[in-house]
Amino acid sequence: MTPALSDLAFHILLALGEGPSHGYAIGKDVEERSGGHLDPTTGALYQALRRLSEDGLIAKATGPGETDPRRKYFELTERGRQAAGAEAQRLDALVRAARKRKLFPQRA
Amino acid sequence: MRLYRWLLRLCAPSLHREYGAAMTETFERRVADARVTGLGPALRVALREVFALFALAVADRWGQRRGLPSTLLRPGKPSRSNGFMEGRGFNPGRRTRIDRQWKAGRMDGMGMEIRQAARRLLRAPAFTIATVLTLALAIGANASIFAVVQHVVINPLPYPDSDRLIELDHGAAKLKVTTGMGLTNGLYFQYAERARSLESVAIYQSGDVTVTRDGGPERIRGTKTTTSLGKVMRLAPAVGRWFSDAEGKPGAPAVGLISHGLWSRRYGSSPGVIGRSITVAGVPTEIIGVMPASFAFPDARVDLWLVAPAAREKGFGLFGWAGVARMREGVTLASVRTELDALIGDLPAAFPGDAMAAGNGRSINLTFTGRTLKDATVGSIARALWILLASVGLLLLVACANVANLFLVRSESRQREVAVRRALGAGGFGMARYFLTESALLSVLGGGAGFAIASVAVRLLVTLGPATLPRLGEVQLDGVAIAFTLLLAVLTTLAFGTIPLWRLVPLANSLHEGRGNTASRGRYHARRLMMGAQVALALVLLVSSGLMVRSFQNLRALDSGFNPSSALTFSLGLPGTDYSSLSTVVSAHHAIIDRLAALPGVAAISAGSCLPLAGGCVGNTIQIEGHDLKPNEIPPLALFRAVAGGYFEAMGMRLIRGRFIDRGDVDRREPVVVISETIAKKYFANEDPIGRHLASNRPPPKDGPRFEWLTVVGIVADTPVRVLAEPTPLPQLYLPMSIATGPGEAPGTILPNVATMSYVVRTTSPPGTMVASVRAAIDGIDRNLALAQVRTLQEIVDRASAQMAFTMVLLAIAAGVALMLGVIGIYGVMSYIVSQRTGEIGVRLALGAEPVGVARGIVREGGVVAVIGIAAGVSIALAGARLIESLLYGISPRDPVVFVTTTIALLAVALLACWLPARRAARLSPLEALRTD
Repeated sequence: MTPALSDLAFHILLALGEGPSHGYAIGKDVEERSGGHLDPTTGALYQALRRLSEDGLIAKATGPGETDPRRKYFELTERGRQAAGAEAQRLDALVRAARKRKLFPQRA
Repeated sequence: MRLYRWLLRLCAPSLHREYGAAMTETFERRVADARVTGLGPALRVALREVFALFALAVADRWGQRRGLPSTLLRPGKPSRSNGFMEGRGFNPGRRTRIDRQWKAGRMDGMGMEIRQAARRLLRAPAFTIATVLTLALAIGANASIFAVVQHVVINPLPYPDSDRLIELDHGAAKLKVTTGMGLTNGLYFQYAERARSLESVAIYQSGDVTVTRDGGPERIRGTKTTTSLGKVMRLAPAVGRWFSDAEGKPGAPAVGLISHGLWSRRYGSSPGVIGRSITVAGVPTEIIGVMPASFAFPDARVDLWLVAPAAREKGFGLFGWAGVARMREGVTLASVRTELDALIGDLPAAFPGDAMAAGNGRSINLTFTGRTLKDATVGSIARALWILLASVGLLLLVACANVANLFLVRSESRQREVAVRRALGAGGFGMARYFLTESALLSVLGGGAGFAIASVAVRLLVTLGPATLPRLGEVQLDGVAIAFTLLLAVLTTLAFGTIPLWRLVPLANSLHEGRGNTASRGRYHARRLMMGAQVALALVLLVSSGLMVRSFQNLRALDSGFNPSSALTFSLGLPGTDYSSLSTVVSAHHAIIDRLAALPGVAAISAGSCLPLAGGCVGNTIQIEGHDLKPNEIPPLALFRAVAGGYFEAMGMRLIRGRFIDRGDVDRREPVVVISETIAKKYFANEDPIGRHLASNRPPPKDGPRFEWLTVVGIVADTPVRVLAEPTPLPQLYLPMSIATGPGEAPGTILPNVATMSYVVRTTSPPGTMVASVRAAIDGIDRNLALAQVRTLQEIVDRASAQMAFTMVLLAIAAGVALMLGVIGIYGVMSYIVSQRTGEIGVRLALGAEPVGVARGIVREGGVVAVIGIAAGVSIALAGARLIESLLYGISPRDPVVFVTTTIALLAVALLACWLPARRAARLSPLEALRTD
């Protein structure tokens, strides 16, 4: 049983779904995808990245050589992929349940 | 960026170790992104990031203390949830929804947080007012002094690359002259042609010159300089051009540049001034440019720059020129010194056959002693101002200590509330936000009020400041000073906001903690010591400013011999081209007086050749009938004032005996004179001066009588000439303007020239409102006449006491701040002590102690410390009396009245500050008091 992911963690995994990326780009992606609802500060973002690494959902990756050497790249691990998939399923189930109870506009 | 890294290391060391570099990079890019939209957004992003770091730090420590692991994966972690957070789908969903609501309404949330914090602060008005006031005073004092330091000390020279400018000066060990010799014509050419370390060199000399044409004769300060000064300073004229090299050659036509001040004063800032001719000491000189207002070289008094007659052919020449040079890029002062000393050794070869060159080099041990221009300009003032900045910085520290104390008292009383909040699940972020919002709000209020104080203080400093401070007139609260204030506000926020947080962390289990949470003796002693020191400091400053205020009152209460209130004055020069004789000048002045007298609102009007305290009086020795000089005796000196009829009435001067000079005396050219009290007392000690005769000494004319005897018709009170409190009043005499001199008179007459007169208009309405109608009336007589130095008599008097007013205001501000801080300090300490002893007080009350007795005990406790502080302050003030003596007027530095009143006042205020917490203690209900502990 995989545990539910926090909003921010799920967004980070989503951002990495497109391939390896670095902190600044992840932050931007999260902010855009959430329509500005999530805008983690640098501190919060890296706190989350560290915990995801510790939990083995993401791993450090090597970035393209020509960028700022201070940058750190991250990529999804297999576990991370599974966790994101499970979370998506969970959300999907919730949305379906909501539709059934007419709490959510039906798809045209 | 460095700040961010540093904070990161401080706040979240583990995160810093792993991701420090990457985080800094992200932070940089985010700020850079926001910077595109403007400075404001960038600042907001940076602040948000920094605050988040603090919150993070708190959450981090909190988590560690409670032994909690990372909480990213919320439920399902056995270590965190013991069942109650379990329940897949429900809890996280709820949490997410709340998160979403929070994020969606982030501004609302922030607004709510601020509103709540504001409400909490409003519920504690004493705390809020004390904190904001302390911060405002400290920040205000710091920002204003910083503004002055920044302009006057850090960047005193408004010239490009001014750090490369040096003064050129010499000393000669053999002549026992260490420095200050300046340089000579020959040294200038030696350096200008051969010194490789110098990019450009200029020499100059300053002195007073008389200029005529366009607006009457005026004595102004002029500087003769080599044309190279433009290259050295690298400052272009505001209008027109700088001297060309050809104009520096001997025999070139006379040209000059005028200052911005002279341009607006004398030419009404008309661009048409370029190409006009001005007569400088009798030489017609073409005006080729106007320097910008910021150009104050060699000093701010200079109004005219002319070409110095330097030429290599003139040989080595005499010392006495001042010099300035621009060093080449990358050259140090030390290497300049080495090169110039070598060039001095080479002088005989450079000026072969020149005895002066041979005799003034090595043989007298001539060495270069120049400093950087900055050191030469502000060297001594800089130290004083840095000390001032350091002391207000100290004041800020004291203020911080006070505010910290206030916060401690507050957090002490709220431990329970905080513990409950935490028990109910408030997280680290929440608690951080809770406290940071409060202190941020206080800092913003304090910073804003401090900024207001600073802008008033800066304006005061600029108006009252001594004219010798370079660039003082330009001092203002600009971007840098605003940033400085903002930084102070932010730093104080972070400092105070975190105090309760750091104290909270180890108290994670404060709900379980028992009673007996009292501070140690040692901490009490430290607090009392600080409190006593603050009282002593406040007393010293209060006494000093009290003495200054009394001196100022004494000075202003001096009988100045005239009435300065509601009188407008201005000076009016009649150009010699249109008014070419004494009689035309006198009738023109009469026409103006008559026209102005007819204006509504004019009570009296007249004119004199010079006004009290305004300078510009002609002085000469006098001959008194019947007082023959002994051989070698210096004849008495007196200041002459040529006046129109009604002058004494318009000035509000007091007649002691005899009569004033009236219009009839002027019309008939009566040889009469009114003398000042001092002349009467000094030279007519035992006789009645009325009807006696005296005369102005002058070179004997070829024919006619040696003296023109004037008959004394009246005696008037003395008026001050230079400063309000003159140790000995100068002898003054007044004569009708028609018997003074004017244009076209024979040279050598030493009497006031009445072509330029200072008018005095006594008004029935405020003098300032009359300026326009006066100007219009004079325009009606001659459009070419320009008013100069339009001001009220009161302004002239104020200016004369400005130096004392400046010192008084500075001291009064410092005393006010110290008093305020002292009171707040006492209040903070006493409140803290009371809050710490609430339990004990409750027990005593419960056992039947009288509330009055409890209050009295607390006041006594604080009062003892205050009295000790006051005693220390009094002894310091008495010991330091001599330091302030020279600044005082008409009062002893140990004046008992000042000492007693300030002591009583301070004691009263201190006791009040003790009484407020004491009253609170007395009003405690025993039940409540016992419950809090």
